[in-house]
Amino acid sequence: MKPIWGKTCLALVVSAAMGVGVSAQAADDCPLPGNLRVVIGSTSTGGDTYQVSSMVVDQLADKLDINAKVDAVGVMPGFQALQRSRHGNTIMIFHDGAYLGNLYGVNGYPNIFDQYVVGPTIAINPGNAYLVPKGSPYESMSDVIEAAGNGKQIRVAIQPGSVSEIGFSALKNAVRLKYPGKESNIVAVNTGSQADKNQLLFDGAVDMINGSVQANEQYTQLPADDQKAMRFVWLTAREDTIQQTNESGMGDTTREQLLGYTTPNVSVPMDDSQDFTFDKEFFFLYNKDMDPAAIDCIDNALSDIYDQGEIQEQLKKAFFVPDFKPSKEASSYLKEKNDQNQTIINDLEG
Amino acid sequence: MDILSHLTPMFFGLIAAGTLIGIIFGAIPGMTATMAVAVCLPLTYAFGLENGIALLLGLYVGGISGGMVPAVLINIPGTPSSITTTFDGYPMAKRGEGERALKIGIVASVFGGLFSAAVLFFFAPVLADFAIKFSYVEKFLIILLALTVIASLCSNMLMGIFSGVLGVWLSLIGTYSITEGGNGEPRLMFDFMQYYLVDGFSLLPVLIGLFGLTTVLLDAEKGFKDDAVQGKISLKGGAKFRFNVFKGQLLNLVRSSGIGTLIGILPGVGGSAASVLAYSQEKNFSRDSSQMGKGAPQGIVSSESSNNALTGGALVPLLSLGIPGDSTTAILIGAFTLQGIQVGPLFIGNNLDTWYLMMIALVAANVLMFGIMYFAIRHIAKVIEVPKFILYPLIIMMCVVGAYAINYGIMFDVWTLLIFGVFGWVAHKVGLETVPLIIGFILGKSAEVYFVKSIESYGNLTIFFTKSPIAAFLWVLIAVSVAFAIYLRVRNRRRPEEIES
Repeated sequence: MKPIWGKTCLALVVSAAMGVGVSAQAADDCPLPGNLRVVIGSTSTGGDTYQVSSMVVDQLADKLDINAKVDAVGVMPGFQALQRSRHGNTIMIFHDGAYLGNLYGVNGYPNIFDQYVVGPTIAINPGNAYLVPKGSPYESMSDVIEAAGNGKQIRVAIQPGSVSEIGFSALKNAVRLKYPGKESNIVAVNTGSQADKNQLLFDGAVDMINGSVQANEQYTQLPADDQKAMRFVWLTAREDTIQQTNESGMGDTTREQLLGYTTPNVSVPMDDSQDFTFDKEFFFLYNKDMDPAAIDCIDNALSDIYDQGEIQEQLKKAFFVPDFKPSKEASSYLKEKNDQNQTIINDLEG
Repeated sequence: MDILSHLTPMFFGLIAAGTLIGIIFGAIPGMTATMAVAVCLPLTYAFGLENGIALLLGLYVGGISGGMVPAVLINIPGTPSSITTTFDGYPMAKRGEGERALKIGIVASVFGGLFSAAVLFFFAPVLADFAIKFSYVEKFLIILLALTVIASLCSNMLMGIFSGVLGVWLSLIGTYSITEGGNGEPRLMFDFMQYYLVDGFSLLPVLIGLFGLTTVLLDAEKGFKDDAVQGKISLKGGAKFRFNVFKGQLLNLVRSSGIGTLIGILPGVGGSAASVLAYSQEKNFSRDSSQMGKGAPQGIVSSESSNNALTGGALVPLLSLGIPGDSTTAILIGAFTLQGIQVGPLFIGNNLDTWYLMMIALVAANVLMFGIMYFAIRHIAKVIEVPKFILYPLIIMMCVVGAYAINYGIMFDVWTLLIFGVFGWVAHKVGLETVPLIIGFILGKSAEVYFVKSIESYGNLTIFFTKSPIAAFLWVLIAVSVAFAIYLRVRNRRRPEEIES
């Protein structure tokens, strides 16, 4: 038995060494490690961040002939892992929450534009939505703004410090613009998961919740006498973004119907001249010391992937909008978006 | 889609493979059903939805069931929900009844699993409507009810309550995360600890530290020299397993499976609460619970039937509301979203074939789990005969690997394991009670979130008493549970005096 075990072990060691050699070799024209860890700012494998990341990372790994794995570690462990990885072994994918957390002053959220390198954007989740119970007296966002202006308290379930809150802030800002001093009638009920937000609506503890087309669409199909029945009143995505989704929309709600809940059909004023819109965008983040050649390499690989078009179909099938911008363009674009949202938040803080 | 065309050897092979791998994951301290499902999630791309789901459900059922193996044999709960299995399983193993204890657990598990599968199949939409009656207030009261088990389980009431409160306090170290609706501010720690403790101490490293490492340290202190001749646990000598051990256990089985299913249905309450609640209810309401905690089969029955009943229960909100019932189904939902399947209140109606296939997979996974474990357990149980000086280093190694892997490679989790291993040893020396402490730790964070959110949502404390008839009923259960614990304590104190007189 012994010689067989010896030979088996030797074979294993040799094949392992060959495997390492092959993966290192494959990455020669691109200074990326053969094993790439992609952490995401969410612990959920059922959420949009994991979904988008796994689609894009799978294609990226194929393109670069490397092993890449998405780890749903969450925000802080994600930033910490990124901070430690100076040689590009770990990169991160997250969404606008990465900078919104910092704008809202959430403890531990860094200024990503200073402390990390902002990489390419990859997709938009156009489904960020606000919903009311089906029997709610509020038929539209204008009704909500009017009610708040007339002294009615509107309770909104959100997850604080992230994408969920920015729409809430915009609503508050819209009330402030039309009825200065009345914005305090828009009250946040801070909560966590989508389940918690839904539950607060079922309980009648809030008037409106932040949700998503993907998670809440089926609730909008329920009959009005069902305690769980809901109705969309606002999609924060731009009209142009929704136009890029499949015509069939999501579930039993067509794209045409979804457009009815977006600007200009729904108006939540940001200032005197324009309405507030917000696309929830996913993008890469790198360690500050990441080799620029590696960043270029990922940019180029993604550019090829998006040119081929297969990823577009995959993303659209899952109700995402493909949105590739290379690192430099993405960085300046997201910085601008950051500054715009900062203005709204600052205005509300007075 | 024709259902029969999906019932291929591949479909059942994947269930069997998933169940076996799940059992192995569950049996290794630090590895959990959740981890098994997470690791295999990307495979659903390759296998397609139906086969992928078959694999994941096998992993889920196997992972939950496998947790009983280390709980019984080496006093380390393989998964958090098997914590109560250690209370009676390990004392039985020490008496040479390890195989018997495991077989009792396996039968109870399959009962719980099939019970909850039946409930899921026949009542899912109705139960989902019932589940949404549970707001933050009712969920807080359920956690409070589970916490009352501390009064039943401690040997010294004052020290037990103190240990439980200490456990709650330890669970609150970290931040009240914004992802749970908190403010994200750190508390109960110094500034330099923030980097490591931003999310607090992880449950699994704490659990295996307090149970596993502490046991190793305490035994190491005694020394292993006599192990070979005296202290060694043997598989022979104790009573053999007979199915008549379940005589008189039907009520326990049904009640515990019912509790497990109910807790599974309530999103966010967590699997550990299920087994803790089922165990405490058996302790309080059975005719004779005097041997519970000392190696009574009824304890294993309540613990294992409830934690396996969680599987079907947690699938109820997933498939009827699109909301995962526990941490494992939260990953399972990823299998649907990755395939572009919408999960929500219309899921079952829109995907009838997938629904039936899931039910078949769930039942098959339970039956296969029974088959695999029942007949393999005789060999698995032999681990207990391995001398401790060989077994313990292996256990420590597995604990360290498990702790490191649980959050995708966080070194501080290994330190947590070691810190709590030593803490458990010190606690033992100063008389702190580990079981109430860990129950406080497991339930503390949920208690805080539900308490704070109840106040935030409804505005005042009276809501806990006036929210709903369910809340009032839960208060009655809490009062009865505490009263029973006190009554039992007084009765047990009197008995020796009566015997003496």
